Amino acid sequence: MSNNKKVTIKDFCHKTGQLVELDVPEFAPLPPPYDKLDLQPKFKALADETKEKYETDLDGITAVKFPRPETEEEKRELVGKFLSGLKKLFDRENNWGFLQPLFLTIEYCAKCQTCASACPIYNESGEQDIYRPTFRAELLRRLYKSYVKKGGRFLAKISGDDIDATWAMVARTMELAYRCSVCRRCAQTCPIGVDNGLVTRELRKIFSQEMGITVEPLHKKGSVQQLEKGSSTGMTPVAFLDNIEFLEEEMEERTGLNFKWPMDKAGAEILLIHNAGEYLAWPENPEAFAIILDAAGIDYTLSSDLMGYDSVNYGVWYDDVQFAKVALKHAQIAKELGVKKIVLGECGHAHKALTVIADRVFTGDFNIPRESSLTLLHEIVKQNALKLDPSRNDHIVTTLHDPCNVVRLMGIVEPQREVLKAVSNNFREMAPHGVHNYCCGGGSGFAITQDLNFPDWRNSVSCRAKLRQILDVFQDIIEPEHNKYVCAPCSNCKGAMRDMFTYYGLFERCNILYGGLVELIVNAMVDIREGFLEWEWH
Amino acid sequence: MSELQLLMYVAYVVFFIGTAYRARKMATMPVHLRWDLYPIPHEKNKHHYGGSYFEEIDWWTKPAEVSVTSELKEMSKEIIFIQSMYYNNRPLWIFSFPFHFGLYLSIVFVLMIFLSGFLGIFGFEVSGTTSNFIGRALHYLTMPFGIIGSVLGCFGAVGLLISRLTREELKRTSVRSDYFNLVLLIAVFASGLYVWATEDMTYTDLRAFFTNLVSFKGTEPVSTGFAIHMILAAAFLIYLPFTHMTHFVGKYFTYHKVRWEDEANVKGSKLEKRITEALGYRINWSAPHIKKGTWAEAATATEDGGQNE
Ligand code: SF4
Ligand code: SF4
Repeated sequence: MSNNKKVTIKDFCHKTGQLVELDVPEFAPLPPPYDKLDLQPKFKALADETKEKYETDLDGITAVKFPRPETEEEKRELVGKFLSGLKKLFDRENNWGFLQPLFLTIEYCAKCQTCASACPIYNESGEQDIYRPTFRAELLRRLYKSYVKKGGRFLAKISGDDIDATWAMVARTMELAYRCSVCRRCAQTCPIGVDNGLVTRELRKIFSQEMGITVEPLHKKGSVQQLEKGSSTGMTPVAFLDNIEFLEEEMEERTGLNFKWPMDKAGAEILLIHNAGEYLAWPENPEAFAIILDAAGIDYTLSSDLMGYDSVNYGVWYDDVQFAKVALKHAQIAKELGVKKIVLGECGHAHKALTVIADRVFTGDFNIPRESSLTLLHEIVKQNALKLDPSRNDHIVTTLHDPCNVVRLMGIVEPQREVLKAVSNNFREMAPHGVHNYCCGGGSGFAITQDLNFPDWRNSVSCRAKLRQILDVFQDIIEPEHNKYVCAPCSNCKGAMRDMFTYYGLFERCNILYGGLVELIVNAMVDIREGFLEWEWH
Repeated sequence: MSELQLLMYVAYVVFFIGTAYRARKMATMPVHLRWDLYPIPHEKNKHHYGGSYFEEIDWWTKPAEVSVTSELKEMSKEIIFIQSMYYNNRPLWIFSFPFHFGLYLSIVFVLMIFLSGFLGIFGFEVSGTTSNFIGRALHYLTMPFGIIGSVLGCFGAVGLLISRLTREELKRTSVRSDYFNLVLLIAVFASGLYVWATEDMTYTDLRAFFTNLVSFKGTEPVSTGFAIHMILAAAFLIYLPFTHMTHFVGKYFTYHKVRWEDEANVKGSKLEKRITEALGYRINWSAPHIKKGTWAEAATATEDGGQNE
């Protein structure tokens, strides 16, 4: 282990300059063909002027792009704001939603480091101390003792876990809060039930909710844009309807079906909400949904109301208030339409946001049942409502990626497997899978964070565990003559995979494609023209 | 009444009040947003693969299928064998498991000693020679529990201390108090073993001490070794509630109130009431996109400020 990787809390607060230097050869080795280092892209180092401009003193990467403060006065002010946010994090009213899990995490860690073995980012980075699940938690724990708890600083000095709130610490913490995908694998292995993934999100909240500092694609171009225009993609209701019209034409061309989406149908059984990114990046996914639901005779509608056509809720990743605003809007739209339930398309974080977390935001009439499309699809397949011929997918070997939000964090494990097995004769499981899966690497907003060299970090560190799993599961048929498909029923995971596949040339080199679940279903429907799933990169 | 006895009373009072205070603090926290983590063992027939009721179509129309036995089974595996560590951190488990197991045996041992003390008040004899079966059983059972408990506890704690001192990643993440906790525990176990081996092989003195303790009677003078062991034990009991070693309290909440808590919010329920109350809490975060007022107001506000600009 190089000295570079060993970092103490003291270094973190006081050392000047960039704390650690990342280097591809130090990362965990990959299976063939990527065991050859020259097949792994080089890390893009930031230009010196960029480093001078933005706070990059953690690891030379930046997600936040925070301009370096110029004067000591400015730094003091920022540290002060950070500390005031810290106090609110431990305040009953200001943080009721997470106070109990947060306190439990702060108070009870036994520092056994069991969680470290579970963290993909820590392990794939070649065991960088700063990415250790406990590192962020230890920072927050010490900050709590030294700056929030009464008399805590004195006791912390005695026990040896005090901390100095320096600007260097605050600036590094700001970035470090964006080096964990909140997959909560660590929490799953902790004997005490401590949740270091939660700490990441709580730290992000200090920056966002108190200091107004976030990652631009999450906030300004994310939740703010969604609340204003209707979608984090910037798609307005008018643009959405245009898009739908265009897709209906495209679908007619592709399938020969003359088809109209049910739109704003009051009193429908189901309001179906997709991640709006699907309509733009993977339109075959909402199209496939439409074909399936139509064939199964399901009474549903889409909504063209502001936000009614975009299920994303980025607040899940960084901000409780933005989270609640978006969730309430979704519920309100369903309420106005008078539907019996909301069904979420293939988007993991939207699943968790609306069905699970928001369950404790909705009261009275806002509490309209929410359900996963995977559960609905499973029911449709179970009822034999579709005529399926899995041999239509025989030219493809499939595997299944488990989106953390749907699986580990919601317990929807079997429906997607049952469906996949019904439409694919060549299905194989990755190891580990189900609730013990590895994150795609794009979780918690990473997939949409595209600035500067952050994508390099994502592709080579946070996506690395998934890449390894994909290569491993297909290792015996890794040559390009075999068609291989990673079924990822989640927009965000697909976004991360699109980038990662491009970065490593996975399609060109190994002939591996990724995509959703419904595309495979439609490809196996005997009443639909063959070849719905196009075997090409796009 | 001796100082030593007084110290013991203080120790037990501090321990119980401190632990209760901790539990109360956690139990009276406001309702939190759902943050469950699978597998959840009370999910009947689904636990083995980590499934939940969300896998069922229209789940809200069906009764929750809960399995208490499955949950109890999972709990005992975790409490007794520390299975998450067994699977994910074997090198530490080989010390952590005997340490905790030794602790459990020691707790049973102390309870038996207490019981003997209470029985003593009513003139009930606990010894190897009494004709009463229960008295004899208590006498003989305390020995294996006491001895094996202390040996395992001591061995485990020494192992944990050595691991912390020598294993790079533990060394780098430990602070003074982490070492102190282990040293104190080792001292308690080791002094107990010393007293047992040198002067009290049948725990007769200890039993007599506790009989007097629970009947608030003065004690006979004790040996220096015995006194040191008692002082260490009392110090540990007093110190414990102020440390993360009370994770036996924390673990109840982390598992039952966070990880495994999958209660759905139903209209008209108690849970809904608690949520409504929380939505009325004041919010004063300073970022421009947050409207001050109650949470309900902030969550329905329409204006948004810019950030990072
Ligand atoms: S979070 Fe849990 S697993 Fe990690 S060091 Fe703390 S107690 Fe151990
Ligand atoms: S939540 Fe996931 S990425 Fe974050 S520290 Fe835990 S295991 Fe690592």
